[in-house]
Amino acid sequence: MSESTQLGSQLVDLCSVLLLLSCFAIVAQRRLSACVDLFALQSFFLATTAALVAFLTGHRHIYLAAALTVVIKVIVLPRILRKVIERLNVSRELVMNINIPAGLLICGGLVVVAFFITQPIIPLGYLLTRDSLALALAIILIGLFTMIARKKAVTQMVGFLVMENGVFLGTTAAAYGMPLIVELGVFFDVLVAGLIAGIYTHRLQDAFDSVDTSELTVLKE
Amino acid sequence: MWPVIVLLAGPVLAGLLSLVIHRARLLHAVNFATMLGLAVAETFLTKRVLAEGSVTTLGSLVYVDALSDFILIIITAIGLSCSLYMWSYMDEQVARGVIAPKHLGVFFFLFHMFLFAMVAATMANSLGVQWVAVEGTTLATTFLIAFFRRKESLEAGWKYLILCSVGIALALFGVVLTYYSSVRVLGDASSALNVTDLIGVADRLDPNVLKLAFLFILVGYGTKVGLVPMHTWLPDAYTEAPAPVAAMLAGVLETVAVYTVLRSKALVDQALPPQFTGNLLLTFGFVSFVVASLFILLQHNYKRLFAYSSIEHMGLAMLGFGVGGLVGTFGGLFHLLNHALAKALAFFAAGNIHRRYDSLEIENVRGLARSQPITAVATLAAGFALVGLPPFSPFVSELLVVSALSAQNFASDTMHVGRFVAVTVSDEMRSLGLVGVFLFFGVVLFGGMMARIGAMVWGTPQDGITRGERWTVGHVPVLAMIAALVGLSVMIPESLRTLVTRAVHVIVVR
Repeated sequence: MSESTQLGSQLVDLCSVLLLLSCFAIVAQRRLSACVDLFALQSFFLATTAALVAFLTGHRHIYLAAALTVVIKVIVLPRILRKVIERLNVSRELVMNINIPAGLLICGGLVVVAFFITQPIIPLGYLLTRDSLALALAIILIGLFTMIARKKAVTQMVGFLVMENGVFLGTTAAAYGMPLIVELGVFFDVLVAGLIAGIYTHRLQDAFDSVDTSELTVLKE
Repeated sequence: MWPVIVLLAGPVLAGLLSLVIHRARLLHAVNFATMLGLAVAETFLTKRVLAEGSVTTLGSLVYVDALSDFILIIITAIGLSCSLYMWSYMDEQVARGVIAPKHLGVFFFLFHMFLFAMVAATMANSLGVQWVAVEGTTLATTFLIAFFRRKESLEAGWKYLILCSVGIALALFGVVLTYYSSVRVLGDASSALNVTDLIGVADRLDPNVLKLAFLFILVGYGTKVGLVPMHTWLPDAYTEAPAPVAAMLAGVLETVAVYTVLRSKALVDQALPPQFTGNLLLTFGFVSFVVASLFILLQHNYKRLFAYSSIEHMGLAMLGFGVGGLVGTFGGLFHLLNHALAKALAFFAAGNIHRRYDSLEIENVRGLARSQPITAVATLAAGFALVGLPPFSPFVSELLVVSALSAQNFASDTMHVGRFVAVTVSDEMRSLGLVGVFLFFGVVLFGGMMARIGAMVWGTPQDGITRGERWTVGHVPVLAMIAALVGLSVMIPESLRTLVTRAVHVIVVR
């Protein structure tokens, strides 16, 4: 391996690890607005990773994906979520299904699981971005965990977006980006999902006087 | 070429048109005309597929073979019936003030976007575009489920949005993994997710990556199919959705979701022995069947009853695909069509009952035969069809699946359901044991379902319930579906049989 590739590979790894770390920060955070800020920060790391991969490999279309990440996930979606929080006047996640230390421990376990699952397929990957696939899966699992462990509609949305970030890191890491039409479609879907969730939390607030999803108990067996 | 364009552009145009039209009558006319156009286009497309084997067009974005064409037939047939049913259903909801007249246009817009997403998911050549379209169905239906904006429907809509988004994110990771393995073989091409390109090289893809990819895809799209244990959104969503939307969700969306799983299965089976995907589908199918048939015993709400029956039937179809082979796969595919017809009929009937009795509780509905004779016939027919009684076509497909199941030799040494059922006996006994358990739960289901439907149909209507049923345009599809269910049990038209047989050969690759 040439020296520049090695350096590049380490930089990509560094960025991916920062993504993972911001996941842990989201899990450890009680304040909703801080969760949203952390998500924006994570998306910024993601865009940096993508741009880095684009620079090191010369795949130009990844630059486009990085730019779209900045516009949609760093600027637009966090702004929508902040507006929702402001309008609904909820700032803290008072009750969680699982307390923070236990949650962090579980997330640590999830990272181990992710590395374990991807072990047999990692050697197939490009040298540059090998370890990112395992990290991507870890981020997806932590996002999933956040959606289960948190009760507020806004944090569930953040959990979903974190999962999406994980998948995107996987795309960049595993295959240097998907075909352009697919990537554009995915961005469109994520944006619309964010908008819909924004409108939806508003309606939930009107109907239930709360965005605590544990209040959603009208439907039972 | 032109049928493909009509099928894709029709719903989009109709959807946009619905936003600018305000007269209800015109909205329904546009909706019906579009559906009719789609059905006609689909007929021509089927002819071409039968003649040429497959159609690739629009810069190889669209790929239609026998399998996807068969799914398109289900989409257009149920869509056409829905458009007629909605004519009377939605008008009555507006007249009652459940929805404001100005919201009718939005309803049709969302409905057509939903339809477009499903058609696109079925026709997409690229697995990535298919994913985008499936996520599109989630986004379009969230507001449709919550369209009446009651507390319960908002809750159901949110649950649906969150659970299906999670599922679909997992499926996307599966698609990424598929791409990860195919780029290695096909090179860094923008077509490395295209079914047309993958078919030729699938046997050279890395088996380990494909295993992981299929797991993620099955769990992800399985959430949309409603397989246990990812099914929890489904009963709520079907109960709260307006009846025509519930019919589309149960009849068509589930079918499309199954189709996406089958596409991956056809791919993975080339690189791995078919037992791998087969055993996974068998396990999920069997668990779904058993759990749903037990839950059916607990239901006191007739829409929920039909929702759990959907889970059960999808489990059954999965059993067919899991056993595989020509018989099992044919049975599974044919069952998708039969289930779509029967379930749409059931939800149409449920919509009629709900409008008359103003309640979803089974105990509040008595004497359907006297208050709504046609709906009573429809409810009985749907009930008989859903428990698999002759002379309705689900009987035929269920029989095919069960025969395939009992003839199957579970010779593989990997995980399979047979091991849980009968541990030490021979292979034949093991598969017979499996069939025995299957039939036992079939009987459980039969009892649970028929007892409740009987309770609704017979007896005397409560005071205050109007008797007699006026003929509306909404009754046309109800009668047509009963006729189709009976007709398909007697004979399958030659062209349909050819089509399904070819679709079977798309899925069964060796």
